[in-house]
Amino acid sequence: MLPKVLVVDDAAFMRMRSRQLLTEHGYQVEEAENGQEAVEKYKENRPDVVLMDITMPVMDGITATKEIMKLDQGARIVICSAMGQQSMVIEAVKAGAKDFIVKPYQPEKVLSAIKKQAENSG
Amino acid sequence: MKVEFINPFVEAAYRVLKQEVGAEIEKGQLSIVESAHTSEEVTVMIGVVGRVQGAVFYGMSEKTAKQMAAKMLGQSTPVFDSMAESAIAELGNVITGLASGGLEKAGYQCRLAPPTVIFGRGVIISTVNIKRLVIPLSTQYGRIQINVALRENGPPLELNAPGSGAGEQVRRL
Repeated sequence: MLPKVLVVDDAAFMRMRSRQLLTEHGYQVEEAENGQEAVEKYKENRPDVVLMDITMPVMDGITATKEIMKLDQGARIVICSAMGQQSMVIEAVKAGAKDFIVKPYQPEKVLSAIKKQAENSG
Repeated sequence: MKVEFINPFVEAAYRVLKQEVGAEIEKGQLSIVESAHTSEEVTVMIGVVGRVQGAVFYGMSEKTAKQMAAKMLGQSTPVFDSMAESAIAELGNVITGLASGGLEKAGYQCRLAPPTVIFGRGVIISTVNIKRLVIPLSTQYGRIQINVALRENGPPLELNAPGSGAGEQVRRL
């Protein structure tokens, strides 16, 4: 079965970009527009990996990461954000993120991080 | 307006515009203005809170926005639709996010709000007593004007000071 990735970003453009990239490389993709929707979709679908933005309305990516980790201590969450401040990376890792990719978006880095986490999931 | 606020934005804009749309950039004369900001045809606005507060604006013509969005989307954008809008908003978001890393290094930790896109030239946006640094950039897609309206909100943190978070160790899993 194809590994499932939940792409969480408030920007439709970024969701489209990640969907195209990941489906071309053999992943199933689900999308969520904010952290709250991501938590709900995680409960329903238990994806292998979550690709999570930070700055989003309704619920930000750090809060969503904490909420998902409460549901599943084994969740594999990769943060992909423009907010590459050192303090933010530390906050994300403390929340439970397994990797942190700083934008500008580099497809090869995203693929590499997702592949690594997908191999380690479940 | 502190000089530490300038370079992070200039460097981030060069890097992001080069990488995302292959822009060849020429920086114009910087200026500092006190009057309210008047929007261009397309303006991306991003709020900033923390040790610095205010907003950053990225203004351009609709033609410039369409051309850059087309490059990002890999298809022509005869109409500036919601996907093109999202792409241009993301450009502003990534430049500001990258610049926030430079601000943190100077001791000014901050957080960003999701981007807002304003359509229509001539909308007057007051930055309420915050002076604006204007950074004009010329590209092959047209002119992009970055307006940085930020002020200090408390003294800068030492990078490794308690509470800065920056002295802690990141344990990669």
